[in-house]
Amino acid sequence: MKADRVSGFFWLAVGLIAIYGSVRLGIGTLQEPASGLVPFLAGCFVSLMAIIVLLRSFLRGPDLQVKLSGLWEDVSWWRPVVIGFLLLVYILAFEKIGFLSTSSLVLFLMFKCVETLSWSKSALVSVLTSAFSYLLLRVLLKTTLPKGIFGF
Amino acid sequence: MDFFSNLIPGFSIALQPINLIFCFVGVFVGTLIGVLPGIGPVGTIALLLPITFGIPPATAIIMLAGIYYGAQYGGSTTSILVNIPGEASSIVTCFDGYQMALQGRAGPALGIAAFGSFIAGTLSVIGLQTIAGPLVSIALSFGPPEYFSLMILGLIILTYLTQKSMVKALMMAGVGILLGTIGLDTMTGVPRFAFNIPELLDGLGLVPIAMGLFGISEVFLNVEKVIQQSLVTTKITHLLPNFKEWMESKWAIARGTVIGFFFGILPGGGALLSSFVSYSVEKRLSKNPEKFGHGAIEGVAGPESANNSAASGAFIPLLTLGIPANVVMAILLGALMIHGITPGPLLLKEHPDLFWGVIASMYVGNVMLLVLNLPLIGLWVKVLRVPYSILFPLILFFCLVGAYSLNNSTVDMALMLFFGVTGYLMRKFEYEPAPLLLAFVLTPIFEQALRQSLVLSEGSFTIFLVRPISVGFLIIAALLLITSSFSVLRKKISGEAVD
Repeated sequence: MKADRVSGFFWLAVGLIAIYGSVRLGIGTLQEPASGLVPFLAGCFVSLMAIIVLLRSFLRGPDLQVKLSGLWEDVSWWRPVVIGFLLLVYILAFEKIGFLSTSSLVLFLMFKCVETLSWSKSALVSVLTSAFSYLLLRVLLKTTLPKGIFGF
Repeated sequence: MDFFSNLIPGFSIALQPINLIFCFVGVFVGTLIGVLPGIGPVGTIALLLPITFGIPPATAIIMLAGIYYGAQYGGSTTSILVNIPGEASSIVTCFDGYQMALQGRAGPALGIAAFGSFIAGTLSVIGLQTIAGPLVSIALSFGPPEYFSLMILGLIILTYLTQKSMVKALMMAGVGILLGTIGLDTMTGVPRFAFNIPELLDGLGLVPIAMGLFGISEVFLNVEKVIQQSLVTTKITHLLPNFKEWMESKWAIARGTVIGFFFGILPGGGALLSSFVSYSVEKRLSKNPEKFGHGAIEGVAGPESANNSAASGAFIPLLTLGIPANVVMAILLGALMIHGITPGPLLLKEHPDLFWGVIASMYVGNVMLLVLNLPLIGLWVKVLRVPYSILFPLILFFCLVGAYSLNNSTVDMALMLFFGVTGYLMRKFEYEPAPLLLAFVLTPIFEQALRQSLVLSEGSFTIFLVRPISVGFLIIAALLLITSSFSVLRKKISGEAVD
C-alpha cells in the first residue's frame, strides 16, 4: 500500500465528516452566514486537496512512491510505541495515584525499559526530577497538583 | 527624532529590574534549548506560557521573545561542535562550522557566529523599530475584507515556502481552520464539534496542540533512530576572530542581516529559509566557492547573521498587523491574547509600553546573549555532554506537566498526546505541521473577517475584489499559486520526480 494513498483516504474522510457536521450545524446564507459556513468551506477544501493527493498517488509510477512499510524501515519503531503507551498510562494514573508517585514511576520505566540505564541511575534521576518539579510547581509557582491515593 | 523619543520610554520599561531578570531568563533558556538538539523554541515557549500568567504582559512577552532569539544563538554551538543542528535554522552552520572545528578553528567559528548574530540581531531591531510605525499607520485603514485577504496571502506564502508538497501544506492549513472552529461560535454562541465534552466548548488549547505537534512528535522521531553525538574535544581558544577573519566575514554578515530581515517578515520565511538563502548567496558570490563545505568562515557568518535577523524581523507582522509570520509568533499571539491584549495596529496606540518595551528589550537581550555565548561557552559545552537518553524523558515529562498546569485538567494532557501522535504520523507521511498551527491560530480572526465582509457586502464575494488593498493581496496570492503550479509542471515535463 502506498503511503500517499493511505493518507489521502484518511484526510478525505476527515473532510467529508467536516462537511457533514457543518451541514448539520447550518451553513446559513451568504447574506447571513451561520456557524457551519467556515467549517463547511474548510471541509470542502480539505476534501479537494485529499482528492488531488489520491489522484497523484494513482497516476504516479510505483517507483516514485513510498510504500507504507518503507516509512518504518531501518528505525526502532517500537520505541515511540512504548513511550506513547507509557505516556498514556501516566495520563490515566496521574489524578488517581498522584503527581509524585506516577511521575517517578513512569520516568523510571522510561529510563530503565526504553533507554536501559542502570537501576540506580534510573531511580536517582526519576526521583530527583519528580521532587525538583514538585518543588518548582507546587511550592514556588503554587500550581495545584493531584495528591492521589497516597496523599502526596 | 521619533526614533529616539520612542526608544527612551521603551528602555525605561526594558531596564526595570523585573524585566531585566525575565529578559535574562528568556535568553538563557533560549540559548540552553538552542544548544540542546531535539528541543525547540516552539515547545519551550508553549511549556513556559502558563508560568507567565501571573506576571505583567510586557514582562511575559520580553521573556518569551528572548527564548526565541536566544535559541538562534545557541543553535550554532551544537552545529559547530557536534555537527548536529541545535535548531533547524542552524542546519547550514554544520556545513562549514563543524569543518572549522575539525581544523582546530572552533573558537573563531563560535566567535563569528556570536558576533554576526549580535550585529545582525541589533541591526534588525533597528529595522523593526523603523518600519513598525509607518506600517501601523497603513494597517489602521484595514477593514474586514483587507484582513481576510491578508490572511489568505499569509497562508499561501507559508505553503508556497514549504519544504515539501504544497498541496499537502494547503490541506494542513484547511485542517488547521477546521480545528480552529471547534468550540463555541463567538458570533452566535452555537457549540461546534464539541461532542458534549465541556473542555472543548472553549475550543482546543493552543499549548497542547503546539507542544504535541512540535515537542512530543519531535521526541518520537528522534527516539526511533540512534543519534550519534561526536563532540569536538579540542580546547576552544581564539573566540575573538582575527582581522583577516573579520574581513572575510564582513559582507557575509551584512548580506545575511538584510536577507534575514526580509525573509523574517514573510509568513513561513523565518530563520530556517533565510539561513539557506544566505548560504547560497555567499557561495555564489564567493571568489573561492570550492572552500564552502570545507571550513569557509563566510559559510558560518552569513547564515548565523541571517537567522538572528529573521528572528527580529518576524515580530513586524505580529506587532503591527496582528498576524504571526511563523509558529513561534503564533504562540506569542496566543500569549498576548491570554493576557487580554489583541495584537494589531491598535497595539502601538493602546499598549505603547509593551510595544516599545519589547523592542528595547531586544537590544538588551542581544548584549546579554553576546556575554552568554562567548565567555560562558564552556558551560554550553558541558550541557552538550548530557546524553539524549536522559534528556528526552525529561522533555516529555515537562511537556505533560506543563499541559496539566494550564487548566488542572488531564484532558489537556490527553490532547497533547493525541497531537503528538498525530504530528509524528504527519511528519512520517510528509505533512508539515506549521501551516496547520498557523491556520489554527488565525481562524478566529479569519472567520470573523470573512463573515463580517459577507454581511457588509450583503453576500457578495466581490467585496474582496473591489477594495484596492484587498485585491492587491489576493493578486499576489494568486501569482504565488500560479508560479508554484508552473514550477511543478516544468519539473514534470523535464521528467523529474515531483512532490
